[in-house]
Parts: sequence; C-alpha cells; structure tokens
Amino acid sequence: MRKAEIGATTALALHSLCAAGLATGYWLSHSLYSSSLITDPAPTLRILTVCEAPVVILLFSWLRRDHDRCSFIKAVARGLIGLPIGALINAFGTIVLGAPVGLKFWPATIYWSMLMSLFTFVPAACVFGASKLDWQQILSYSKPSNIVDYMLSVPAHGAIIGAWLGAWPMPLDWERPWQEWPICVTYGAIAGHLIGMLFSPVLIFLHRRHIRTKTE
Amino acid sequence: MRMRMRLKAAAAVVLCLHCLGVYLFTRGFLLTRTELSAFSLPSDLLQAQAPCCSESDLPSTTDQDLPGWTPPTVDRVLILIVDALRFDFVAPSSLFETKQKWMDRLSSLQHLASTHPSSSRIFKAIADPPTTSLQRLKALTTGGLPTFIDVGNSFAAPAIHEDNWIHQLLHTGRRLVMMGDDTWTQLFPHHFNHSYPYPSFNVKDLHTVDNGVAHHLVPWLHRQDWDVLIGHFLGVDHAGHIFGVDSQPMVQKLEQINAILQNVTDIMNSQKHLENTMLIVMGDHAQTLNGDHGGGTSEEVETCLFAWMPRSLPSSISSIFHPSTCGLGLNGKNICTSTMQQLDFAVSISALLGIPFPFGSIGRVNPELYALSPGSWDRQWLPASFYEDPSSDLKTWKNNYAHVLCINSWQVKRYIDSYSATSVMGFPSDDLHYITKLYNEAQSRWSDSKNSSCKPENDTIDEFSDFLLSFATLARSAWTEFDLKLMGVGLGIFIISIMFHLFVFERVHSLSNVYDNKTQKSSNHLQIYVAFLLVAVRAVSFLSNSYILAEGRVANFLLATTAIGSIRSSLVYGKIKKHDLVFLILIILIRFGIEKGMSKQAATNPFLNYDSGSDFDLKWLPSLFEGHDFVTLLPEISPMIILFLLSFLSCKYITCTVHSRYIKWVVTVGTMLSYSFIATFWLSERSFAPKMVYVIGLSLFVLNFVLRYLGILEKGETVQRLRSLALVMVSAWSPTILILLGKQGPFVVLVCSIAGWSIISSKNKGLLDDCKMDPISVMQWSLLAICLFYQTGHWCTFDGLRYGAAFIGFDEFKVVRQAILLFVDTFGISHILPIFSLPFLVTIPNSSSSKGRDKTVIFLNLTQVYLLYGLITAITTTFTVLCVAIQRRHLMVWGLFAPKYVFDAIGLLLTDVLICVSALYYC
Repeated sequence: MRKAEIGATTALALHSLCAAGLATGYWLSHSLYSSSLITDPAPTLRILTVCEAPVVILLFSWLRRDHDRCSFIKAVARGLIGLPIGALINAFGTIVLGAPVGLKFWPATIYWSMLMSLFTFVPAACVFGASKLDWQQILSYSKPSNIVDYMLSVPAHGAIIGAWLGAWPMPLDWERPWQEWPICVTYGAIAGHLIGMLFSPVLIFLHRRHIRTKTE
Repeated sequence: MRMRMRLKAAAAVVLCLHCLGVYLFTRGFLLTRTELSAFSLPSDLLQAQAPCCSESDLPSTTDQDLPGWTPPTVDRVLILIVDALRFDFVAPSSLFETKQKWMDRLSSLQHLASTHPSSSRIFKAIADPPTTSLQRLKALTTGGLPTFIDVGNSFAAPAIHEDNWIHQLLHTGRRLVMMGDDTWTQLFPHHFNHSYPYPSFNVKDLHTVDNGVAHHLVPWLHRQDWDVLIGHFLGVDHAGHIFGVDSQPMVQKLEQINAILQNVTDIMNSQKHLENTMLIVMGDHAQTLNGDHGGGTSEEVETCLFAWMPRSLPSSISSIFHPSTCGLGLNGKNICTSTMQQLDFAVSISALLGIPFPFGSIGRVNPELYALSPGSWDRQWLPASFYEDPSSDLKTWKNNYAHVLCINSWQVKRYIDSYSATSVMGFPSDDLHYITKLYNEAQSRWSDSKNSSCKPENDTIDEFSDFLLSFATLARSAWTEFDLKLMGVGLGIFIISIMFHLFVFERVHSLSNVYDNKTQKSSNHLQIYVAFLLVAVRAVSFLSNSYILAEGRVANFLLATTAIGSIRSSLVYGKIKKHDLVFLILIILIRFGIEKGMSKQAATNPFLNYDSGSDFDLKWLPSLFEGHDFVTLLPEISPMIILFLLSFLSCKYITCTVHSRYIKWVVTVGTMLSYSFIATFWLSERSFAPKMVYVIGLSLFVLNFVLRYLGILEKGETVQRLRSLALVMVSAWSPTILILLGKQGPFVVLVCSIAGWSIISSKNKGLLDDCKMDPISVMQWSLLAICLFYQTGHWCTFDGLRYGAAFIGFDEFKVVRQAILLFVDTFGISHILPIFSLPFLVTIPNSSSSKGRDKTVIFLNLTQVYLLYGLITAITTTFTVLCVAIQRRHLMVWGLFAPKYVFDAIGLLLTDVLICVSALYYC
C-alpha cells in the first residue's frame, strides 16, 4: 500500500512543487515576455498553464489510485485527456455564472479554464480515471479515508471558492484594469488554491493522528 | 384550522408593520415639494392691489406695456457658468491658509475686483443640496429648492414646468442665446433664439464644450441682437471628475477659462453697446478635491459668483453693508468678498432685468448684487417732491431697494399662500403663522413710512429681509433636510417586523418538525443557513452603487451558484439529472436577457458604465446565416410559435391537474381564448383583443375566489386540490402579464415556467421527503423572480418603466387605468406570478410519498414557504432601506438609491399583499 505511506510532510512537499510550477510560470512570463496578468491576461495565463500542466500531471499520475492495473503512462494519458474536458466544464460553469462571451474574451477564457482544470479536474482524473465511486466519494466527504483525497479535494475546492470570491470586485466602478475578466478571478483562484494546498497537509496530519488514536 | 389562521394573521400583521415602516421612512427620506404651475404676469402687481405700489408710485402706470414689476437696471446680462467652480478658484489665495496650485488662476477676475471695487464683486455663493447640475440649474432659474420628488413633474422629460426667469424673459420679448452644456436645451427646449448645445455626458472629454463656447462667444459679443447670453463651461467639472482638483489638467483648464474671461472683459470694455451690461461668472455648484459633488458638504456647496459692470457707479457700496472678508490680491491691492445664497440668484436677476419675479421663487433680491447695477441708483420711485430734497445717492438707493424688497416679499407671500392651498404636504401651521406675522408687520411699517414724511428705510429693509430669510429657512428645512428621527423610527419598525417574522417562522418550523417527527433537523438547518447566507450576500451588496446597478447580474450569479451547488449534490447522490442541466442553460439565457436590458439602461443612465459592445458581442452570430430568409422572419415568427407551444402546454397541464370538470372546461376555454386574442393582437394590432384578454383574466380571477368560497374547488386530495387551485390562479394571470410584456412575453413565460419546473424537480436530493419545505428552493424561487424582473427589460429607475405597456389596448390616457397596466407590467412577472405559484413548491406531481399525506403537514409546509418568501423579501428590503439611509448624502442618492428604495418598498408591500391574498385563497 504505497498510498498509505504519504504523510503530511510529503503532501506539503508535493504541493510546494505545484506551487513552484505556478511561480515559475509567473516568473517566466514576467522576465522573458515582460507580460503581467493585468496588461495581457491571455498570454500570461497560457504560460502559467504550460508551466503548471507537466508538474501537476506527472505528480498526480505518480499518486494514481490503482497502481497494479494502471501504468504511469496511462495515468499521464488520463491527465492529458482530462485537461480539455475539465476546461470545458469550467468554461461552461463560468459562462453560467456570468463570464463575458464576446469574441475578444475567448482566448483568455480558454486559457483560464485550462488553468482551472489543472487546479480542479486534472489531478482527480490522473488519480481516479473514470471510477465513478471515487469521484462521488471525493465530492461528498462521506468517507474521508484517504490521504490523497485530501490532497485532491481541499486545493480544488479552495480554487473554486477563491475564483467565486474573486468575481465580486468585478461590477464595482473603480475602473481599475484588474477588474476585467478574468484577472481578479484568476488571482482569487490562485490564492484559494494556495490556501487549500497549505491547509490540506494540516488536515492530513489531523486525520492521521485521529486514525492512530483510533487504532490504539 | 388554527394553522390556517396563523398564516393569515401573521401576513396581516407583517403587512401592517411594513406599511407603517414604509410610510414613516418615506416621510423622513423622500423630500416632497409640489410644483405649482402658476406663472407671474406683468399685470399681477396692479390687479392684485399689491400693497407696495399705490397708483402714484408706479413710474409708468400710464405706460401699460411695462414689461416687469420693477424698472430694468441693466440692458444686458452675460452669464458665464463654469461648472463645479470652487470658491477658492476665484477668491484671492490670501484668504486661505495655504496657497494651493489651483488658486489665483482666474487672475483676470481678481484684477477686476481689485481695480474696480465699486463696480465688481466676488461672492461666495452657497448652493443648496442636491449639488448636481440638473437640480442646480433648475434652482438657479426658478429660484426654488428642487427635491427628489417634485410632484407634478412629468416623468419622461426633464423640461422645467415651473415659472422661471428664462420663461419671463421670453414673454417680455427679450432675446436669449445659449451655448455650452446641453442640459439647458433639455430644460428649456423652445426658449432660446439661438443655442449651441454640446453633449455633457462624456466626462472624459475635457475640451469639446469649452472650445465650442469659446468659438461662439466672441462673435456674439460683437453682435447687438441679444439681451441675455448664457455660456456654460463644463471642462472644470470634467477635469475634476477625472483628475481631481489638485492636478495639472485642472490648472490648465482654469488658465484656459481665464484667457477666455480676459478676452470677454476686454471686449466689454471696448464695445459701446456693452457698456450697461452685467457680466456674471458663476458656478452651479462646487466640488470636493476629488472632483465629486452632489452632497451637502461645505466643499460641494460653496461655489462662487463674480459680477462686474463696465460702467462705474456713483459711489462705493461697500460702506452700506456688513464688513466682508478681504484679502490681498495678486497685484497687492485689497479684494473683498461677500456671501450670498444661490437661492437669491433668480429673483435678483429678475429685478436687474426688470421682469416679473418667477412665481415659485423664494429668494431675496441680493442687495450687493442689486447695488452693482447703475440703474438701481436712479431716482425711480420717488415722488416729484422728493427731487428737491438734497438727499444723497445712498438714500435714493435705499428707497429703491426697499421698494424692490416690498414687491419681493409680496411675491413670496403669494407663493406661500398658494402653496399651502394646493400642496400635498404643506408647512407646519405654527411656522406659517409666525411667517405671516412677520410679513404683516413689515407691510404695515412700509405703509406707515410712506404716509409719514420720514423714511426709515433701514428698518423697512431689515423687516422685509427678516421675513424673506425666515421663510427661506423654513423652506430649506422642509425641502432639503432629511428627518432623521422619522427615518430611524421607520427603520426600527422594519427591524421589529423582521423579528416578528423570524419568531413566527421559527414557531411554525418547530411545529412542523414535531409533526414530522423525523430527525432531519440538522440537514434542514444547514439549508436554512445557506439560504440566509445568500440573502446576506445580496443584502450587503446594496451598500454599493455599482452592485445596485448590477443587481440583475448579481442575482443571476447567486442563482447560478445555487444551481451549480445542486448539481454537485446530484453528483454525490447519484447522477446528474436532466433538469439540472436544463436549469443551467436557462440561467445562461436569462443572463443574456439581463445583459441586453443593462445595455438598454446604459443608453439612458449616465452612472452606468456598461460597455455592451465588448460584453455582449454576438454580432458574429447572425452573419453566419446571412442570406437566408428565415433569419429575417425568425423574430416575427418565433413569438407565435412559442405562444402556440405555451397554450398547448398549459391546456394539457390544466386537463391533467384540475379535477373538477366544469372548472377544467371554463379555465381551458378561457386560456385558449386569451392566447388566441393575443395572437390576433400581434397579427392585426386590433385594440379590442387586449381588452378581451384583460376582461377574461379579471373574470377568471374573481371567479376563482367565488368558487373557492362556494366550496366547489374543495374536491379531491389536499395536494391535488392545492395544485389545481394554484394552477387556476396562475392561468388567470399569465395571459395578461404575457401580453403586457410584448413580443418577448412568450419566451419569458416559457423560460420562467421551465425554470420553475427545474427548481421544483431539483429540490430534495433524497434527504427530505417530497412535501417538506426546502429553504434553498424558496431562495432560488426568489432569485429567479429578481432575474425575471431584469430580464424583461425593467430596472429600478423611473425611466426603466416600460411606458409602452400601459397603452396596449388603449389609445387615450387615463391615469388610473394606465397606472394599473403599468403596475401589472412592472411587477407581474417578478411578484404576482412567482408568489401565486409558490404552492407548487410543496406539491410535487407524481411523487409517491405525497399521496395520503396529512393535511396539516402540507399546510404547515405551505405556511413555511410563504413565511420564508416574505422573510427573504423583507430582509433584502430592510437592507435597502438601511443602505439608503447610510448613503443619503451620496452623489447618486437621487439618481440611484432613492429610486431603488421606491421600487423595493413598493415591491415589499405588494409581496405582503399578495401573501395575504394567497393565504386567503389557498388556506
């Protein structure tokens, strides 16, 4: 049982790798292309996605659920397929919530939903594949048995709640450039994701202590 | 039976509390003034036997074509309005603690003030809030105090309907020229002989208006065919809004204005025909350092008025008046400034030009401004015997001024009398009594002084001034000051009613838990918390003007959030059902409708910065189908198709649901007839068809109540009975609402019925049994109602009312009838239909567990649904009230917060009334 070996510290390390991916993307866009999220959101989001995607897919493929039946390559392939599917779901969700649909917003929306897919959908796709039961379990918290579940669920929920909160400044009449779609939503999502990644090791630590006291 | 009484009693109590709260808060907050339509006429003074002029007094009683009440003292007036002119732009910087970079820029005015102290003057002009351009221009021309509700105002056009000096000038044959801000031409569409309006909306454009005025001003100064010229510069206001006062663009703007003014004064000095012309440079209001205005802080109200005559005067006037504040000007000479009320401007300029004073003016002829004109020093009214008297010029002037003030007081008294006789809310009688006493004393002293040989002008002037100033104070307190005490009491009553509401709801809720005696308490509580969290988010958002403007989108956002949440729980308990997805797609459709409504609103609302081009950019869509005939026909045909679909669906549903055979027959026929009348109306525009629809709707509504009380609808099981009652009620109302909504109607009604169906089907994810009240569903129902309000092209301002709807089926205007139609159009889809269809939430069709349920439980649930719906509306409205009270000095209080309050208050009272009606009908 490899999955049981992952502790809070390992989880923290893995999460910091993901965060490092994001930071690299931000640094790259800043130094190489001298573009920031505010001035030109679409290219920056593209660079962020490109940098984050390999990190997330490789990491979570290594954490895949059924090690015996599923090879590493297969898990990576699941992640790659999951990326556009998750992006589609995220894009649909934001349009329902009121994201602009004009032609000039399309590139930004596409890259933004890719990034959101990396935060939410892709990790779970790598780990679970198409197992319906696992998906239901992770959504319901009914059996928080697994440590990987925390690693998947807490940062993903953090990203979604962060993006939801990040949309609130958009209607205000401050006329700041960052109020445009999808800039503040992206900031919110990244912030929520980072908070979730910090929070999940804590939960894992508590969970393991709980199990230990139970077995004793 | 006790349960049924409970909803009725609770609803009635809540309705009463809300009525009281709304009444008190409105009395304190919405300052009301009645506009009188009377106009002053030149002959008024003689006809009314005004005490000021005995026959011998009037200089030209023989001369019947005397245009005014007083002889004109100047030939022409040149008024240059600099929008948002602060006092410290004009006054010498030595009057202020520190010299800022925007001070002393209008050096040409300071130069005049210091070199011609007798013929020029700088005033600190105090404006009355609201300090927005439209209200200020209205006040400057009518001499009144405009408020939020000027009763008698026509809603559509801002044109001034009260008496004003522009009107008086026109009727005494003077020639008017206007250039600059196009607000003037909106207010006075037909008054100017020549006008050069420039658009005032684009705040970012600093130069178009000013350059336009500068371009036209100089040529007109060389012409002789004008009497009053108004130039309105906007650049200073716009520079303030964009960059703030402490900025380089503001300094440049002031220097540009200074150059224009220098040019104007040079021309006036050189041209012979401008010798007896008064130059007035003034602001309509001031601004804060950030460039904001609208409120009542001293920074916003302290504007400036500068007046100058090229012709010099017999003697200096400063000796007569109270010492004013003086400071050193740029050239080292002393400059003195005085203070005046902007309220006095209208009557002062009327006295200067010798026209009848505007009927509704409540100002006093300002002595210093009046003394600037050489004509006021002429011996106008003095009897011949007086000429031998070697009296000083000063004495002559005082006599003249006392005479003008007498006429002024008579005119204000006349206004007070006719206002008290006709207005909705008059003045307190004690104050009126005191004012009348002051007036009588002043008049008696005036007539005494005329009969006796001695002329104590000083006393007379003081007494008249006292009367005029007291009345202005009284009018200010009635028309511009909020009654905070009343507002507080009103708000308190709202909060008490929420407490009561919560108490009743909690009682019913615990009662239903006892009846149910199942242990789902915790999950139900969680849902209540989620619902209240959503209400809280919505309620807090009203604190910001941006969120009020975007309310439709916010409601849609929250609705989408609940829909996504319900999909998530669908996933947890099984798989996604199709109604969940349908609901999401409907939310997208509703969202596009809301955005379309907002882009329409943005065309008329200067506050709404809604870039429809970038956000709702689907223009590429039709181009895909270009060249096909059906695309052009689609907007014509699709309402018909949807209408047909709707009538089919509703008839089918009625036949399935309603069990009583006669009712079924009557309702089906009624619905079919209504829908076919709607189709005939759209095809042929015959006006009898809508009338028939209204008649059928009304008679079905009445019939329902009659049958309900005769007990004919009592048959069947409780759930089925409730459902058929609700269905009959909804089918009575929907055709009327549909036809009023116009061609978008069928689509909207279809969307709202499918959305309602989705909400009903998506509630209770296996946790609760079917008839249990689900707070989230009620919340969704209420959010959907708000979305529908905005989707149908309404918004919370008076220009958002769809006036066209009031004339569907009628050509001529009758107040009550058209008001009812407009009311039904505005609140039909967002209040009437959702509230009458609430019973569907507790009676789900085809559910196994709802059969054979205890009657009491179902009514308990129904009571809870209605109480919760009322509570949600009450909480949001209470927050609107609170936010309006907090933001009462906000820049947009009259443009945005007050209309929002009016709409919400009416919506709340309507909700309460509808809940009472539903309680009578369903329980």
